[in-house]
Amino acid sequence: MPEPAHRPAIANWLLPLVLVLLLAIPLGAAVAIGEPEVGTAGLAKFSSAIGSVACADGITPVVTILLIEIGVAVLAVVAAFAVGKRSAWLFNLLREQGAQYIVLLLLIAIPFIIAWQTDSSVCSRGKSYFWQSVFIEAFILATLAISYNLIFGFAGVISFGHAAFFGIGAYAIGLLILHLEWPLGISVLATLIISTAMGVLVSVIALRIRGLYFAIFTLVFAEIFFVLAQNRIMTEITGAEDGFTFGVPDWINATKNRLTFYYLALVFLIFCYLLVRQLVNSPTGRVMNAIRDNEDRALMLGYNTFTYKTLAIVLAGVLASGAGILRGLLNKGASPNVLGVGFTIDPLLMTLVGGAGTFSGPVIGAFLLRLVEQSLRDTVLTLGALQVNIGERWFLILGLLFIVIVIAFPSGIVGTIQSSWKRWQARRRGRDGPK
Amino acid sequence: MTTSSEPILRSSTIRQSMVISALFIGGLLVANLLLFNPGQVSVVVLSGFYQGMLFFLVAAGFSIVFGLLDVLNLAQGSFFMLGAYIGFAVYGALPEGTPIWARFVAALLSATAGGALLGALTERVLIRPLYARPVFQIVLTFGLGIVFTEIIRSIYGPAGLIPVEPPAALDTTFPILGARFETYRVFIIAVGAVLMAAILLLLKRTRIGIIIRAGVQDSEMVEALGINVRQIFTLVFALGCAVAALGGMTAAPYLGAYPSMGDQFLLSAVIVVVLGGMSSFEGTAIASILVGLTRATAEQISLQYLRTPVLASLSILIIMVIVLLVRPSGLFGRE
Repeated sequence: MPEPAHRPAIANWLLPLVLVLLLAIPLGAAVAIGEPEVGTAGLAKFSSAIGSVACADGITPVVTILLIEIGVAVLAVVAAFAVGKRSAWLFNLLREQGAQYIVLLLLIAIPFIIAWQTDSSVCSRGKSYFWQSVFIEAFILATLAISYNLIFGFAGVISFGHAAFFGIGAYAIGLLILHLEWPLGISVLATLIISTAMGVLVSVIALRIRGLYFAIFTLVFAEIFFVLAQNRIMTEITGAEDGFTFGVPDWINATKNRLTFYYLALVFLIFCYLLVRQLVNSPTGRVMNAIRDNEDRALMLGYNTFTYKTLAIVLAGVLASGAGILRGLLNKGASPNVLGVGFTIDPLLMTLVGGAGTFSGPVIGAFLLRLVEQSLRDTVLTLGALQVNIGERWFLILGLLFIVIVIAFPSGIVGTIQSSWKRWQARRRGRDGPK
Repeated sequence: MTTSSEPILRSSTIRQSMVISALFIGGLLVANLLLFNPGQVSVVVLSGFYQGMLFFLVAAGFSIVFGLLDVLNLAQGSFFMLGAYIGFAVYGALPEGTPIWARFVAALLSATAGGALLGALTERVLIRPLYARPVFQIVLTFGLGIVFTEIIRSIYGPAGLIPVEPPAALDTTFPILGARFETYRVFIIAVGAVLMAAILLLLKRTRIGIIIRAGVQDSEMVEALGINVRQIFTLVFALGCAVAALGGMTAAPYLGAYPSMGDQFLLSAVIVVVLGGMSSFEGTAIASILVGLTRATAEQISLQYLRTPVLASLSILIIMVIVLLVRPSGLFGRE
């Protein structure tokens, strides 16, 4: 698609800037009309002013402003599509990136929208509070799926041990805080360093052997940690099968300040999304794609495929353990199930459902699966004489989903939509569709 | 993809692998003799062979299927579990008055047949469309394993079934060097050994076996010679699943049948196959005994000195990591 030549330099920064502005408006309004608690000063005064407006039940000024903004954004993007192709760069920009920003605005507004719809508060127990925790879990899973997609979808390496990185994140941060009593920031840093080392270790051991061996090796690798974590010998340290709990600072305590945690998880998700997109679109990412498509050819062309695959595995491991850290902080504890095969199945399936090798696929897959599971948890389907409790049979449904997707939709939701969109456009232009 | 165009294993390498395995097993025995009294040693050795045979029964199919089809069948463990459940169902469904040995034999036969049938069906319907996409094959068998496990769980519940009664002659214990050992476990060893010999004979002495071995070397070439490799693929996949199912039913009177039993054995079987060198059947056979003995020794050590079974599961994991580091293609694998 030929780009219009006259796009000014500011164009690439325009939408992020607008987004920041859009967020500043409700925040500013809250500070302006809020009534801070008496005796507070500085940051505490600021946050209590916001709290007094944002935390009210039902429809607050904050939700009104956010809704208006979303409406304006949607209108702008619709207008951009309506104007058509030969138009100013601004409309092109909106057509290309507008949808992402609308989704982002929606995710930012969701706690408030739910609070307004269910007449609850975003800051205390209620429907909104509950759904915030569901979304936090979805954010964490989406981050995990993004990291999995980096190795599976972009570098073409299949791993059955991604749970190891996730679990190590949750365990390491908890153990460091609980036993060594390190402050949060240093613990996070140390956990990330540990997972980097782990990624390098896995790569160095397992990448010497190619292809399917790697899948097996990672399966066993994850099992080692699972066995270690739940063994009774480690009861003093890890609490064996019961796991352990640890204390976290108040500001990040998901029971007290869930909204803060919500935005923290959202920010981390966006960070990972952008990081992976940036990486994959870089020359390094091109080589990774080449390795996925044909490793021998990439080798023959002179690329050290080992280095590139190691990079993908280490980065994916670090992001996954980042998600694990969030999970540990969310639950204020860790138990062996974070190392279990479930957290390998989830990202794998989410990536496949959304579309392996696409940017938004894993995120969409994660949201879809997590939210569907949450809303159907207590539903009982009646098929003739057969009664199916969705919550109890969730794993069966996941297994069937695996098979259906692998056989019928190997490119997932996003991949399938993308290819049919391309075909449709090609037909509209009067040319033959891609073969 | 991985097997074609690689040189045939040279006999000197085989000899080297044999020596390594013999040294390993010898080392284990010496360690046993130093650590335990004779009664315990004999129990460890027997239970090592018993565990090894169970691993072998799951791993055998895994190895042949991978060698010929290049498919990692992660559902192999669930065929083991399905065999146990099919056998139990038949055992219970036979009319009143059927003697126990007849029930038992019927259970073994029906498990084998059921495994073969399900395996053939799986290959035809699910695996066949995916030969061009090997990564998706792994994912598919992974999902299939979940489906099988969950179906059994939803029919029979998560708790598992009470073991059926084997024929009275097998349901006793016998003394050995001052310790006692269950006859039934010896029966499992015998079944494993018979199957091991039978599959070896099948591979080495029959026309089908020659085709299979040729297919492991280079399946395109075999196809070019006018042999319908696709049919052989189905046959081999069914064979692998049948052996696993038979193994499941053989083990179940001792272990009981429960939905997750497959996953447990799958991991050990995978380790066995990797240790043996993926597509080498002899390697799998030897590695399964090696792993069984290692596990039994580690179990005894933890029982005696640590009072928790941590070593049992960790020992084989660690051995696998070490072997992969020293010989990335396994003990009997091709470079």
